[in-house]
Amino acid sequence: MDLSLIIIAVCGVVAVALVIVFIIFGRSEANFTFDIGGASPRASGGSDSSPEKTTSSRLVGLLVMVGATFSALLARLWSMQLVSSEEYLEQAESNRTSTVYTQAPRGRILDRNGREIVGNRSSLTVVASSDLLDDEVEMHLLANLVGMPLQAVRRKIQDTTEGQQSLRTVSVDVSRRVVAFIGEHPEIFPGVDVQERTQRSYPHGSLAAHIVGYTGTVTAEQLEASKNAREGDVVYRSGDIVGQTGIELEYESVLQGVRGEQTVFVDANGRVLDYSTNIEPQSGSDLVLTIDMDIQRAAEESLERVMSELRETGYSATGGCVVAVDCTNGEVIALASAPTFSPSVFTGGISTADWEALQDEGAHYPMMNRVIAGQYPSGSVIKPLTSFAALDYGIATPSSSWNCSGWWTWDGNPNSLPVMKCWWETGHGPMNLSDGITFSCDVVFYEIGKGFWNSDNPEGMQETFRRYGLGETTGIDLPGEAAGRIPDAEWKLNYFRELGYSEEDATWKGGDNANISIGQGDMLVTAIQMVCAYCSIANKGPVWRPHLMKGVRAKLGEGFVSEYRCETIRDVEEDETYRDVIATGMEGVIYREDPTQASHWTNLDIPVRGKTGTAEQPGGDPIGWFIAYAPADNPKYVVGGNMDRVLQGASSAMYVVRDVFGAIYGQPDTSTETTSIAD
Amino acid sequence: MALEMAGPGATSTGMLPTLGTRSGGGGAHSRVGRRKGPLDDIYFSQLIPSLLIVILGIITIWSASLSIPEANFASHLAGVAIGLVAAVVVWRYDYRVLANMTTALFVLACVLMVLPRIPGLGVEGGLGMVGWVRIGPLRFQPSEPGKIVTIFLMAAACAQYNGKIETFRDYAKLCGTLLVPLLLILSLDLGTGLVIFFIGAAIIICSGAPRSWVLATIALIVLVAAFVIIESQIEGIPHILQEYQLKRLIVFINPDVDPTDDGYNLRQAMIAVGSGGLFGKGFGNASQALSGFVPEAQTDFVFSLFAEQFGFVGSIVLLALFAWMIFSTIILAMRTESIFSRLLLVGCVAMWTFQVLENVGMCLGIMPITGIPLPFVSYGSSSMVVQLVSVGLAQSVWRHRQKAA
Repeated sequence: MDLSLIIIAVCGVVAVALVIVFIIFGRSEANFTFDIGGASPRASGGSDSSPEKTTSSRLVGLLVMVGATFSALLARLWSMQLVSSEEYLEQAESNRTSTVYTQAPRGRILDRNGREIVGNRSSLTVVASSDLLDDEVEMHLLANLVGMPLQAVRRKIQDTTEGQQSLRTVSVDVSRRVVAFIGEHPEIFPGVDVQERTQRSYPHGSLAAHIVGYTGTVTAEQLEASKNAREGDVVYRSGDIVGQTGIELEYESVLQGVRGEQTVFVDANGRVLDYSTNIEPQSGSDLVLTIDMDIQRAAEESLERVMSELRETGYSATGGCVVAVDCTNGEVIALASAPTFSPSVFTGGISTADWEALQDEGAHYPMMNRVIAGQYPSGSVIKPLTSFAALDYGIATPSSSWNCSGWWTWDGNPNSLPVMKCWWETGHGPMNLSDGITFSCDVVFYEIGKGFWNSDNPEGMQETFRRYGLGETTGIDLPGEAAGRIPDAEWKLNYFRELGYSEEDATWKGGDNANISIGQGDMLVTAIQMVCAYCSIANKGPVWRPHLMKGVRAKLGEGFVSEYRCETIRDVEEDETYRDVIATGMEGVIYREDPTQASHWTNLDIPVRGKTGTAEQPGGDPIGWFIAYAPADNPKYVVGGNMDRVLQGASSAMYVVRDVFGAIYGQPDTSTETTSIAD
Repeated sequence: MALEMAGPGATSTGMLPTLGTRSGGGGAHSRVGRRKGPLDDIYFSQLIPSLLIVILGIITIWSASLSIPEANFASHLAGVAIGLVAAVVVWRYDYRVLANMTTALFVLACVLMVLPRIPGLGVEGGLGMVGWVRIGPLRFQPSEPGKIVTIFLMAAACAQYNGKIETFRDYAKLCGTLLVPLLLILSLDLGTGLVIFFIGAAIIICSGAPRSWVLATIALIVLVAAFVIIESQIEGIPHILQEYQLKRLIVFINPDVDPTDDGYNLRQAMIAVGSGGLFGKGFGNASQALSGFVPEAQTDFVFSLFAEQFGFVGSIVLLALFAWMIFSTIILAMRTESIFSRLLLVGCVAMWTFQVLENVGMCLGIMPITGIPLPFVSYGSSSMVVQLVSVGLAQSVWRHRQKAA
């Protein structure tokens, strides 16, 4: 406290008092010199000091003092009750009202047949008021009852993340015994309550984890962002549970219910005196996905199985993914990424140890959804697109022919450098374009790359890739989609100059053309991009936007209140005869390239077309790709995937894709033959 | 100095003589001996406002009793009833016999002030119970009747000098007479002590103490007060005022010195007053004062409760009634010949004025926080009885005015 302030205040009061006293007393002992009232002096001379006069004048002084007192009080009342009344009223209102929030259950997430992927379960939660902190004994009793250390209970009660006024969560999922004990002994536990809360439940464990994502306590950024939310959107409060990734995040506004708000009038001790407005909690809407749970499960199990088999044979198989899309409308039937995680570890807050384990590099990033965020070189699965490019730009014709000798140089001279090899090092011999696809002959595509280099459209391949949607996101309804990269001369120059390379090194060269013609070099694609490109091949043009949401289910009945509006994102025109060349080549991949490979497909009575791929990667084993569509003549499903750090696509991703088709058509892969072919 | 004072001095001297002479006895004479009826013994312009305030107080305490368990409405009504009976007794009683009993009054005053300190009598309790005494089933504050006794004591002592204190020895004697009961209560109950001080000071000043002595005394008091406050802040020596007492005194200047306790209370009391607005929230709708945000809303902070319910208009009415009552008492004093009677009235006026200023001013954040009841309104029988007795005293002065001539 400020000493000088007090002294100044005291001095001020004294000064005022002295002045007043002086005025009053001044009169009593003054002579008539002060009387300038104009009237002649009343008293007939002499000093004005008779006892009666003195007391009378001092009574007048008293009158003045009293008047001043009341004037001061009145002035202050005026300023408080009339001038500043609004401010005080506001403070009084915020004093007497308090809002009690009840969380609304989030909407469930269902598969296309209405089976529950993510649901809610009620959880008996022990909550306590912050007053408990003052009562060591009660805290001790509570800690013993719920079986937690006293320190942990204290920390939970001190935790204000759910709001200063709210009750603090002490323990979730407590047993009936605890509930009964607290209920029977209210006198021991004042300020402790048991609430029935809803929590996310995952009846199928980690199934579709990368699709549904997880929920968590609202973050500071989300809180801030929701303050500027549009009219009608939920404004979050600290402690709210919101979607953090996947569908939970993408469709947060659908899944998030409207929390109940009960405004109550309280007294100074927080006791509720009366109830005011009440907003009933509204649970969020159920969301129906396009996912078929059975196919999804088959896809995940197949990924897991193939990866573990590969690990047994010495490959690290660090990750893999597969996605199945209905090419007639863009519905994603299954979408799996491995390694995966269990979203249930996030309910009720994830422990630091669990979180660090999920972020660990050694665990190969289980949180990453490789279908949309895994960017890899495409390898040979790009070859159908390269073929379209060659035909479109006149680099090749359906009847063009090349001879594969197993190696290739720019000028055909075996002594010139660099020497590029076909993966089939003994050479494929004479090859036309569809053979080139079927046998994935690299030499054919090196020649095409060289042809573009020498043509009037040196970037015709890149343009074709872009027409098929590579290098841009597909717009699938999941957060975190990556765009991939289609390298061209301009990009290379900028990119490598920024990294400090010389002009010479950063210039686009013929070898770059040869690289991207087989999906190597600086090309990066995601699985969903490639699958969408294959949708165009299957559909002979149109590509529907891939999506996971089928609709929002009505609260009552089975109908939808809103459905996903399917839309085409592109329609790629190609000459029919060119399409036949590519179709022939892709059918050959399945049935002609290699008998061990074909054995996996001949046991499926649906004709299939597809393409294998194996892309060299820096720092280890390649990534294997496989994408196929079926039925061949009237395509319905496009299934594709990749697997990281394996021998090649045919012996990794292809098995997974086959298993997904097996689940779709109910015809599991009975072939046990190991595909020996390398690409 | 004379030049500086010329402005305000001229104004006051210009009007004061006229006012002074008109009321200086002539008025009283003109009324005396006119009609002689039973109603003639009642000084209505003082009685009516005080009774109206009592009624406003009853309404306020009624509202308080609805939600504050400490405020017992029946007990308040009983206090009013006892007070009215006591007032009638005092009204009939010829108080003038006390004019010559200075010594007895002095002893009585000292005894009353000392009672709460006697072991076994004083009520041990919270801060709110300081200065209470329990005798059998009865609990009361002896300092409340002590105020009346002090009024009589100082009036009797000062009246001896017939309106003109000539020697410094007499002046010092009067100050000493006041000082003994004052110091006895001041250390126990600062609020009551201040009331006693203002009663005594007003009586001494109005009994004709020379200006220079009074000014010197005030200067001395200020110095002592400044010394006490400064001394209480120096580390390492025994403090005259404890930290909490010091905080209470200055918290109204800056509520942040004690944001959880007195500062919080003060802020809540001010919110109560301010949120009342022009017409108030209506009877029983005081969300601040009646929901526990304002402590002691039936006693120390009773004005908050009143102002929140009845707003600016109600507060104006209440203050106007107080002003009416006090002004008519001063006018009665002016018309009264007897110095003793006059000084009695001055004492009453000082008591009412200071208690209103302190109680209302505290709720408005312009006075320090002390536990002084609002006359006729605050819950509490001791205070109610004493205040009504003081009204009876004023009425008695009116009733016995002829004999005073």
